Parts: sequence; C-alpha cells; structure tokens
Amino acid sequence: MARRTPAPRTRFTALRGLAIDEERLSRCAAWLGLPSVAGADAGRRGHGSTLALLDGPQGAEDSAAWLPPVAAWIEPTSAPDAQPTLTWQTERAGSVDLYINLTTETANDLHLAGRVLTALAARHPLPPERRDDLELALHEAISNALVHGNLEVAGMKELSATELERFSRDLVRQMANPVLAQRRLEVAVTLEPSALAVEVADEGGGFQPNRTECHGASGRGLDLIATVADSVELKDGGRRIRMRFSL
Amino acid sequence: MDYGIEQRDRDDTIRLRGRLTFNDHAKLRALIGEMKQAKGQRQTLDLSSLEFVDSAGIGMLLIAREEMTAVNKTLVLRGAVGQVKRVLTVAQIGKLIPIED
Repeated sequence: MARRTPAPRTRFTALRGLAIDEERLSRCAAWLGLPSVAGADAGRRGHGSTLALLDGPQGAEDSAAWLPPVAAWIEPTSAPDAQPTLTWQTERAGSVDLYINLTTETANDLHLAGRVLTALAARHPLPPERRDDLELALHEAISNALVHGNLEVAGMKELSATELERFSRDLVRQMANPVLAQRRLEVAVTLEPSALAVEVADEGGGFQPNRTECHGASGRGLDLIATVADSVELKDGGRRIRMRFSL
Repeated sequence: MDYGIEQRDRDDTIRLRGRLTFNDHAKLRALIGEMKQAKGQRQTLDLSSLEFVDSAGIGMLLIAREEMTAVNKTLVLRGAVGQVKRVLTVAQIGKLIPIED
C-alpha cells in the first residue's frame, strides 16, 4: 500500500503584513497565492490560519500580532532566491502549529520567547508557573541559538568583570556585522493534546556539549532547559535543539 | 532591566526592575563598577521587582559576587519572587551567594 503524505497541520488562507512595504507584501501574496488582509479582517474570516510577514521588529511589538488566527511569522529575505525561500518556509510552517523564521537582529529585538508564549497561551491554557518555566526554556534555547550559534560569541568562561567586558564587546561587535545579524533563527512548535514539541534552529557553526566543562558564568542554559523539559535532543551538529514538554 | 541605588552608612541596596538577561551586559558592567566604588561594605541586590532572569543573568550575578569579594565587600540577594526565585533555587545559587527573603 502506498504511503500517503501526512495532511498539513496548518492551512494558511491569508497573509498579513506587519509593517512591511505594501508592494513587497503584494509580491509575496502573488507567489503564495494567498490574499493579503488587514489585521481586523483576518480575524473575521473565521477559517484557516494567517501567515504574518515582517520586515524588522516593527509591527510585531504589539501582542495582538501574536494571537490567532496568526500561526506563522516569517521575515522574507530580500536575496535573489526570495521566492523559493518563502515558498519553502511556508510549507515548513504548514507542517507544524506555530512557526517563526526571523533574522537574528529581529528575533533579538522582539524578545522572542515571550512572544511564542503569548501565541501558545492563546491556544492552550497554561498555569502561571508553567508559563514561566516554558518561557525560560524557550528563552535559553533561543538565546543560545542567537548568541553562541548565529553570532558566534563564546560564553563567559570565568567569573570576572574582564570576561563580562569581553562578552559585552563581542556581542555588540558581532551584532553590528550585517552577515551575522541576518542569519536566520527558526522556531517550530507542535502542540499535542497533552504535550508540546519545540525545535529551535540556527545557522551558526554548531557545538558539542561538553559535560565535563566546569561552569564559569555561562553554561547553565542547557541544564535549566533540562529541568523544565521532558526530553532534550541536539541535532544537526548542535545547530538544532528539539525539546518536548508535558502540558 | 533598570536599577536604583539607595545608600546608607555601611549598607547599600540596589533595586533591580524588569528582566535580567544576556542583553543587559552593559548595565551589569556599569552596576558592578558602581557597587565596587560605593562606600557600603555590604551590597544588597533587592530582586523583589525583578520579573525574569535567565542563565546569563545568573552568571552576571556570580560575577558581581566575585568582584565584591575582590574588594572585601559582601553581596547579598534579597526578596526574589516567582520565576526569579525558582531559577535561583534550581541553579543552587544559595550555595554561592547569601539569599534573604
């Protein structure tokens, strides 16, 4: 018997621009074959999900931008391969329940973990303590991907003001490097009736967890994630972390 | 994150507000500098208005403790609630820095 491709989890019926140029939004709408709608209209359509397109953090700073029917937030690239990239990202978004693909700069400006929790809490009731724990785990995974992955800034190895200064200087310098600041961060969330799977991926050099390395001021992030998550897996040479949480 | 300093004879209290994360590296550098220069021998960080701390924030608190020890000052954490209190407990920070309710 032939295996059938699983049905997509999310079907997009509209595009919504979050402070993105109108002409660019129309071009993306044509590529994806989706109508673009204003915020209030998207809510009234009543069926299907909305894909939000960003251009920087503007327009996504309002928490309403993270509520249903919006289920994906993509910052389209302006590179020559913009069309196939957006098509691929939209397909990927359709295979999960919540999907985010942003530049490092935008993800950092938005304090992304809190936004993901806004989107999640609108779909599944979360007691305040569980919400805090999930936000911490997501924040640690996202900041590892941004700081150590995409920006290639080493953690603070020693407990000294000199090492804090080095970290501070490196972070500012790397964020000012347009190539690194444009690297992508991807967050993909699958919501099951009593569990949550979250993948966070970056475009950095990957990393090898080293259990014997002693803690300086950094290195507690993965341990904190492990106290909250039921399981944690590193994939793609450390560029992708997959976490599972019970709800 | 923002902070405000209240100075007394031998005891300075610094109230941290908002979220303490890796993005606050510049503020923590400034704060550690101010605490080292301050007159008080005892530097208390009042965390009661801090809403969120991450692993880098914990790391920066540990750096503050080392820097205070180097100039013969004592660092104390006070009044953590909610998420901040839980993270301090899980990361066993009480073994390294005195924590007061």
